[in-house]
Amino acid sequence: MTSVLLFILAILLAPFYSAVILKVKAFFGGKKGPPLLINYYTLVKLLRKGSVYSTSTTAIFKIGPMVSLCAAVTVLMFLPIAGQPPIISFQGDVILLLYLLGLGRFFTIAAAMDTASPFEGMGAAREAYFPIICEATLFMILILFYVITGELSLAAYFSSGQPAGFWQAAGAPLLFVVLALFIVLLTENSRVPVDDPATHLELTMIHEVMVLDHSGPDFAFIELGSFLKLFFYATMVTRLICPVTLGHPAADLGIFLVTMGVVYVAVGVTESVMARYRMDKVPQFVLTSFALAFFATVISLEFLK
Amino acid sequence: MLAINPFFLAVGIIIGSGILPLLFLWRRFVVMKAVASFGITAGCLIGLIDAIMKLSHGVDWASSATYLHVFRLDFRMDGLSAFFLTAIFLVSLLAAVYSYHYMDNAQKTVRVAVHYLFFSLLVASMALVVTAANMITFMLCWEIMSLSSFFLVVYNYENDGNRKAGYLYFIFSQVGAMVILAAFGVIYSHAASFGFDGAAALPETAKMLVFVLAFIGFGSKAGVFPFHVWLPHAHPAAPSHISAIMSGVMIKCGIYGILRIYALLGWHAPLSGYIVLVAGMVSGILGVVYALGQHDIKRLLAYHSVENIGIILIGIGLGMVGVAAGNPVMALLGFGGGLLHVLNHAIFKSLLFMGAGMVLHKTGTRTIDVLGGLIKKMRITGTTFLIGSLAICGLPPFNGFVSEFMIYIGGFRGAALGQADFALSLLAIVSLAVIGGLALACFTKVVGVVFQGEPRSRAAEAVNEKGISMITPMVVLAGACLVIGVFPGVFAGMALKAAESLQLGYGRVPLAPFMQFTGNITRGALLFFTVFGLILVLRTFLYRGKTVTASGTWGCGFTQPTVRMQYTGSSYAGSILEFFGPLAPLEEKHPPIEGRFPAKTYYHSHVHDIAERHMQRVIVSPVLAAFDKLRWLQHGDIHLYIGYILLAIVVLLFFV
Repeated sequence: MTSVLLFILAILLAPFYSAVILKVKAFFGGKKGPPLLINYYTLVKLLRKGSVYSTSTTAIFKIGPMVSLCAAVTVLMFLPIAGQPPIISFQGDVILLLYLLGLGRFFTIAAAMDTASPFEGMGAAREAYFPIICEATLFMILILFYVITGELSLAAYFSSGQPAGFWQAAGAPLLFVVLALFIVLLTENSRVPVDDPATHLELTMIHEVMVLDHSGPDFAFIELGSFLKLFFYATMVTRLICPVTLGHPAADLGIFLVTMGVVYVAVGVTESVMARYRMDKVPQFVLTSFALAFFATVISLEFLK
Repeated sequence: MLAINPFFLAVGIIIGSGILPLLFLWRRFVVMKAVASFGITAGCLIGLIDAIMKLSHGVDWASSATYLHVFRLDFRMDGLSAFFLTAIFLVSLLAAVYSYHYMDNAQKTVRVAVHYLFFSLLVASMALVVTAANMITFMLCWEIMSLSSFFLVVYNYENDGNRKAGYLYFIFSQVGAMVILAAFGVIYSHAASFGFDGAAALPETAKMLVFVLAFIGFGSKAGVFPFHVWLPHAHPAAPSHISAIMSGVMIKCGIYGILRIYALLGWHAPLSGYIVLVAGMVSGILGVVYALGQHDIKRLLAYHSVENIGIILIGIGLGMVGVAAGNPVMALLGFGGGLLHVLNHAIFKSLLFMGAGMVLHKTGTRTIDVLGGLIKKMRITGTTFLIGSLAICGLPPFNGFVSEFMIYIGGFRGAALGQADFALSLLAIVSLAVIGGLALACFTKVVGVVFQGEPRSRAAEAVNEKGISMITPMVVLAGACLVIGVFPGVFAGMALKAAESLQLGYGRVPLAPFMQFTGNITRGALLFFTVFGLILVLRTFLYRGKTVTASGTWGCGFTQPTVRMQYTGSSYAGSILEFFGPLAPLEEKHPPIEGRFPAKTYYHSHVHDIAERHMQRVIVSPVLAAFDKLRWLQHGDIHLYIGYILLAIVVLLFFV
């Protein structure tokens, strides 16, 4: 029951946290910024609209947003929130989750290619490229977690007192993992310095250009899906940097929500103080995450035994 | 006794239906096609049912006959054979159905009849290869398989490129067979019998030699890097249903050979696993990288076969490492995952080749960058091709995911072992992740450029989708992808049963606790479908009574877009190929745009296969130079030729 409530809370809160990033960026820009509830207003506005479809598109264009939202929602069901066990969990679920996110990506790309727009093709090519390295990083981190716990499920990694156990077992190299996971978060969710969601030039976009032709509820699905995906990655980072549990669910939830805020603020600060990399430099940036995860895994498993 | 055996009955019917057209029916084109494809289908169906029955009941049988009064032909079927037979008969059955409408050139009646003869021989010889129980039988069937497929590759022999592809394939298969023969020779020299059973008693070093030789020989058939060079040439040259058979099941006979030799030798040293694992990782990654750079859809699919053979070998290699480390669960997951991927790849790859065949048949071109928008007029082909693409990328809820999942878990088990096992398992897991990502990039390119967007040429505009016999197999295969993906229990069980007959040296491992994973995959898939259903209902509700209008694609302010401005496959893959530049050198030709009135320009790109490049430099040129020096031996004087024969016999008399 708690898990279901937390799952619903996650879906409800995800848009709010994404607005935190906007607020931080506005602060750095010396502006007032949009209200913290802006994303809810946007979603409601989109849901009430109709849609315009390009004559080039097929059914895949309409299925795309549904699959990407569906993948994000399904993934959240496996995610332990605030240290509580998730709704569903089994041995090997992590692999399923990573591949479900891959399925969502496949359909996002397919929906973009459906429009026959050269700009969307360009974005799609980038969306297909960078996450390849992210997946390698994530699997490298999984190896570390698997060897420490002997389990292959998110529940075993992030619920109850486990992330604290990682710090005991792996020690300082886990800092590398946190950093690697943060880079993956930035890449997978199209944030600066990989992608700039606020840029005005379609040529330089990745995710935003792929969804140019979506409108109305379809676009709302895409937006909600990306809020949830960011929430998913942010939860993992949060639990790693703040593994403490007080034993009382409400207190744990409080700590969790505050730390989540910190992670989102960190994303906002990164976006404010950094510029987007040139497209051909991005792979090097993402590869850094792989190198970090690799070192963390090898050091803690082979040398710190 | 032989006559009532369903397996031989199936083989007999298949060969019979291949011979019939050439004898009587070639004058009546449609009747001939119908008889041949129906006969082969029926034979395959009998064989398929027989194989599945044998696999599920675990019945082994053996039979033998004398050949030329000297050699014995022995056949034996165990779980491993039955598993491969299932894949062979399933794909051949659907390919035979597909051929009915695909081979529709009534001008080439005799050629189509000859094609059916070699088609039937290919299917029958593959079935016999995986049941052969001694060296003579095996090599005989192996050669028939190689030769019949060679004649199918040169089906369109008028085309210069196809002839070249055929010769290349011929050389590779003969050299491969020679190496296999050498491996058998080593066994024979120790065991002094043509039977396979003596192999287990070989000394350790001889076992290593046999394994390495057999791996090279079988690897060249399977398309393991760097012996894959023939594959991307031969597969596009053959008619599409033959490509489906060659890529779907014929190259798997190489995998069968590796597994059989492994089982016969009982050589459980870690080295065997390391060799296979490394070969698998290299083939997997390079296969998909080269695939990304292709412009020809069938060539692209052929490179994906190299990739998937890599995945299969990663599974098998992990299994071997598991055996060597005494970890039964890892061994079974590795072998089981590898074998299940054999079946899965047979299914989705033949589906993709049939889809590509439909595209080729209706548009007359295989070039990706001139197609586009096909899904609008070829709904079933497009949809089934999309399903096949999702499956080959290993995405849930389709079948490719299940086998990769098993291999992943096997790999994670290996990562918990120490030292070299840890390092290699780690690399295996990361390679699988990278392969998965690259395959996704590659198939979003194919689906996006070929089937989506707007047609880029006339050929792509005027298409239709006809030929029920071509559509049905694709629908069946797409259905199989989904069924195995959602309910993998039975199929994973089949693969594990096949793995049991590898004689891994420990008794029955209790399967029940880890067979849970199939149930979990089903749960995950059903959960996904439930959520998707809810979202679908929500979407329908949200769009009720809304205004939905159609308009052109937003051109980002540009109001005169043309279809030629669409992103092409070359540009889509460009940046990823740049990343892999050292491994996949990209050659580009592009005269620059200069002056006030620039001349017409073009862009041409080609990805070089480093194996092909270096093989030319390191092997082909020196061999040619060496043989050039021996030209004087071949002078055309028949008397001296007879002298050679005499000399050879005299020399042999000294040794034998």
